[in-house]
Amino acid sequence: MTSQATAPAAAEIRGTAGRSAKALRSDRARAEARLGWYLAGPAFVVMLAVTLYPILQAMYDSLFRYRLTAPDDRSFVGLANYGVVLSDAVWWQAFGVTVLITVITVAVELVLGFALALVMHRAIKRLRGLLRTAILVPYGIITVVSAFAWFYAFDINSGYVNTWFDWVPGIDENLNWFAEFGTAIFVIIASEIWKTTPFISLLLLAGLAQVPGELDEAAEVDGATWWQRLRRVTLPNMKAAIMVAVLFRALDAFRIFDNVFIMTNGSAGTTVLSLLAYRTSIGRLEIGLGSAISVLLFLAVIGICWIAIKLFKVDLAGARGES
Amino acid sequence: MSALTTRMKVAWAVITVLVLTYALFPVLSIMATSFKLPSELNTGTFLPSQWTWTNYNEILGPDGSARDLFLPALRNSIGISLIATAIAVVLATLAAYAIARLDFPGKRLILTTALGVSIFPVISIVTPLFNLWRNIGLYDTWAGLIIPYLSLTLPISIWTLAAFFRQIPWELEQAAQVDGATSWQAFRKAIVPLAAPGVFTTALIAFFIAWNDFVYGISLTSTSRARPVPAALAFFTGASQFEEPTGAISAAAVIVTIPVVILVLLFQRQIVAGLTQGAVKG
Amino acid sequence: MRRRTRALVMVAAVGLLAPLAACAAESGPPVLTWYINPDDGGQAEIARRCTDQAGGEYRLEVSVLPRDAASQREQLARRLAAKDTSIDLMSLDPPFIPELAEPGFLAPIPDDVAQRVSQDVVQGALDGATWGDKLVTVPFWANTQLLWYRKSVAQAAGLDPATAPVTWQQVMEASKSQDKYLSVQGAKAESLTVWINALVESAGGQILENPEAPADELTLGLDSDAGRAAAEIIGTIGKDDLAGPALPTEDENASMTIFQGDRGSFMVNWPFVWPATKAGVEDGAIEQSVLDDIGWALYPQVDEAQESRPPYGGINLGVGAFSRYVDQAFAAAECIVQPENQVYYFVENGNPPSNTTAFDDPQVIEAFPMAPVIRQSLEQAAPRPQTPYYNEVSSGLQETWHPPSSVNPDTTPQKSTDFITAVLRGDQLL
Repeated sequence: MTSQATAPAAAEIRGTAGRSAKALRSDRARAEARLGWYLAGPAFVVMLAVTLYPILQAMYDSLFRYRLTAPDDRSFVGLANYGVVLSDAVWWQAFGVTVLITVITVAVELVLGFALALVMHRAIKRLRGLLRTAILVPYGIITVVSAFAWFYAFDINSGYVNTWFDWVPGIDENLNWFAEFGTAIFVIIASEIWKTTPFISLLLLAGLAQVPGELDEAAEVDGATWWQRLRRVTLPNMKAAIMVAVLFRALDAFRIFDNVFIMTNGSAGTTVLSLLAYRTSIGRLEIGLGSAISVLLFLAVIGICWIAIKLFKVDLAGARGES
Repeated sequence: MSALTTRMKVAWAVITVLVLTYALFPVLSIMATSFKLPSELNTGTFLPSQWTWTNYNEILGPDGSARDLFLPALRNSIGISLIATAIAVVLATLAAYAIARLDFPGKRLILTTALGVSIFPVISIVTPLFNLWRNIGLYDTWAGLIIPYLSLTLPISIWTLAAFFRQIPWELEQAAQVDGATSWQAFRKAIVPLAAPGVFTTALIAFFIAWNDFVYGISLTSTSRARPVPAALAFFTGASQFEEPTGAISAAAVIVTIPVVILVLLFQRQIVAGLTQGAVKG
Repeated sequence: MRRRTRALVMVAAVGLLAPLAACAAESGPPVLTWYINPDDGGQAEIARRCTDQAGGEYRLEVSVLPRDAASQREQLARRLAAKDTSIDLMSLDPPFIPELAEPGFLAPIPDDVAQRVSQDVVQGALDGATWGDKLVTVPFWANTQLLWYRKSVAQAAGLDPATAPVTWQQVMEASKSQDKYLSVQGAKAESLTVWINALVESAGGQILENPEAPADELTLGLDSDAGRAAAEIIGTIGKDDLAGPALPTEDENASMTIFQGDRGSFMVNWPFVWPATKAGVEDGAIEQSVLDDIGWALYPQVDEAQESRPPYGGINLGVGAFSRYVDQAFAAAECIVQPENQVYYFVENGNPPSNTTAFDDPQVIEAFPMAPVIRQSLEQAAPRPQTPYYNEVSSGLQETWHPPSSVNPDTTPQKSTDFITAVLRGDQLL
C-alpha cells in the first residue's frame, strides 16, 4: 500500500530527469499493474483453482463410461453419456422442475422482497432495527435447518399445519403434503422463498436508496398517487437493481439442492438437476454419467447468464460500480 | 417528518407483526418441536404439552446418544467456517484494494471471474474435488473443506469490499502524510478506521455462507474429524436405526441457529450496509 | 451408560487426533477402526468389551456412518475405491455386500474363520453374507419383519394370526372391515424394496433371476405371476386407501406411529417397534393397554399354500481389503459376533442375533417374548437380490412402484422390468 502511495512521486522525479511523458506513463502503469496483480492475484488464483480445475476434470470424466466400484471397466465412449442424458425424460423432467422452482421463487420473491425493502426503507427509526433484525434471520439461518423446520411442520405425522389450516378447502388431517407433486413442490418453494427473500430484498433496498428523493417529492407535489409514483418514478430508477437481483436469485434458485434433499429426496417427481447430478455421481457412483450431468448443469447456468446479459442487458459490471 | 398520525401508527404496528411472523415463525416452529418428548412428536400440535430438555440432553448431555456426533461437528463447523472466513477476508481485502484504488489490465477479468465463481453450481465440482482430495490426502480434513469454501466466500467478499473501499476518501491518507505522518501511520490512522467496518461486515457475510454449506460437507468428509453440523444432522438416529431422530435434529437446529440470531441482533445495521453496498451501484 | 460415554468420547478424541494416533500406535497395539451404522450405543460397548478381551492384541474403535443404508454404502464404497487403509472393519447392510465383494474391496475370509463364524447361524443370515458361493462377511445380527397386530382388531375381524398363518388378503380384508389402517412401508425408500421383495419371494418368485450376472445380462423375474401377485397387493392397498393417507411417505417409524394410534390394526415391521412402544409407555405417551393389545405372528403369506418369505435385514461384518491389520480385524470380528455379545445387543438395542444359540438365552425371552417367532422368521427369510448392481435395482423398483396407488398388476411389473433393464445397460438415467 505504501509503495502505491509513493510510486507516483518517485516516477515524477524520474520524469523530470528527462524521460518522455509517454514512457513515464507506461512506467507508472506497469508498476501499478504489477502491484495490482500482486494484490489481487492470490484471490484470483484461488478462485480459479477451486472451480476451473474440477470442471475441466468433470468434462474429461464425462467422456468415459466409468463406475467407481468397477474401476477396471472404464472405457472411452466419447459424447455418448451426453446422448443418454439429453435423450432421457428423467433429465428433462428434472430440468422442468428446476425451471419451475426458479421461475416461481424469483417471481414471488421479487414482489415480496420489494415489499420488505419498502418496509425497511420507510420504517420509522424506532422500528428499523427490529425489522431489519427479523428480516435477516432467515438470511442467516442454515438452509438445512430451514428445510427441517418446514418439513416437520407439514409432515403428516409430526406436523401441525393440517390441524391449523383444516378450514382451508383441500386441507384436512389426511393431506399428505409430500405424497403429491403439487403439494410437495409448494412446500419446497415456500421454504426456499422464506429463506432467500431477505437477500433479494436487500439488493432491492440498495436500489431504492438510489432513487433520487427529489423526483419522488416532485411527483407527489404534482398530485401523483402512491401507485403512480411507484410505477413512474421508483421502478424505472431501480431497473438495474431489479435486473441484477433477479439474475442472482435465478442462478441461485437454479442450483437448489438442500431443501429437496431433506424434504422429499426427489420423490413425488420433485427431483431437481442438482439432485440428479448428486444421485448419479455420488449415489450410483457412475462418475461418467454424473460428470456429464454436472457439465450440462454448468452449461445451463452459463446459458442463463448469457441470456440475461445479451437479451435483458443486465449490466453486471455497471451494477458492480465499474462504470 | 411530523408526528405520526394514529393511522400510520396502526399501519406500522400491523406491518411489524406481519414481518415478525414471517421471519420468525419457522424458527419458533422448530424450537417448539425441539422441546417435545419423542413420543409426543406425532400429536399434531404446535406447542409441546409437556416441555422437556430430553432432546438437548441427547446432543449436549454427558449421556446423550448424539453428543459424540454433534459436539465434534459443532467444533468443526465453527473452526472451518472461521478459518475459511479469515482467509477469504484477507485475500479479498488485498484484491479489493487493488480493484478500488489501482488501474491495471485484468481488473475486469478478476471481477468477472468472481462473478462466474459465485454462480457456479457446487454440485458440478464436488465429484472431481472428491477424487482429487482423496488422491492428495485432503479428503475428510479441515483443509479439504476450507479450500472449497473459499469458492463460496471469496467472490462475495471481493465485491462487498471493493464497493466499500471505493467510498473511502483516500485523500485523507495523503493529507495525513502531508501533516508529517509516515505512510504506515497515515494508513493506520486514516484508512484503517474507515475500512475496518467494511472488512468486518464482509467477514460476517462470508461466515454465514460458510456456516450454511451442506453439499461439500456431506461429500468431502466421512468422520467426525471434519464433518460440519449441517451434514452431521443426517447421522443422527433414534433409539434404533428405524426411529426418526426428529427431536435431536430439532434441538441441534436450534443450537446452530442461536449464533446466527445473536450475530444478526448485534450487527444488523452492518450486514444490511454490507449487502446493499456490495450489491448495486447505479 | 457412563462407561459407554467415556468410550465414545475416547473414540471421538482418537478420530480427531487420528494422524497422531497413527504414530502413537506404532508402539502400542494396532488401533482398528470399525465403521458402524448408528445405533443406541451397543456396537461401541461391544468394541470396548472386545478391546478388553484382546489383551493387547488390538484396540477397537468405532466411527459412525450415516443413518440410512444407501448413504452408508456411498461413504464406504467411495473410500474403498480409494483404497483407504483406515477401514479395518465395517458394519454392512447385506444387499450392498456383493457390490463391495465383487471388485475385491473385502478381504477374503480364511477358511477356519469362515467355518467357525457360520456355525449355528440362521440360514437367512448365511445367505446374506455369501457372494459367489463364498462367505465374504461375518454374520453379526439378523433382522426380520413380523406381522404385528392389535389383538382387539384381529378378534373383532375374526382372525387369529397366533394360531395359524394368515394371508395378505385376510389382513387387508380384516383391517378394511374394521375401518382401520394397515401399516406398511410405502415411502419411496429402501423399505419399499424390502416390501416388494418379500411379496415376490412369498409368491414363489424372484426379483432377479440371475443376480450374479454382469449388469447387461441381468434378467428380471418381475414380469411373472409372482410379480403380478405382489403388484396386486401393493396396488390394492394403495388404491383402496387401506393404509391411510400417509402411505406414500410412510416409513418404518411412521408405520409404528399409525399402528400405535386409534386406527392401528395390522403392521409388518421390524422388532424395534417392541422396545420403542415400551419406551413410549414409560414416557407416559402411550397407554399400557395399547402395549397389552399388541400381538405378533409370522409375516403374512401371499398364497395360503405357500410359506411366507419374510424380509431379511441386519448387519454383517466386512474386513477392508486394504486394512493394514487384516488378521487382527478377523480376530475382532470373531469376538464381536460371540453369542453373548449378540444377546447383549438384542436385549439392549433390539437387534436380533444371527446365531441360534443366542435365542435360547433367558434374558432374550424376557426382553423379547416374540423371540421364538423372530427366530423362525429368520429361518424362512429371503434376502433381497444379491447383485453388485443392487442400488440400481432397488432405486429402479422405487421409481416404478411408487406411489403404491399407481401400482397396477397388468403394467407395473412390465414397466419396471423395462426401466431397470435400460438403467443397467446405461441407456437411461435413474
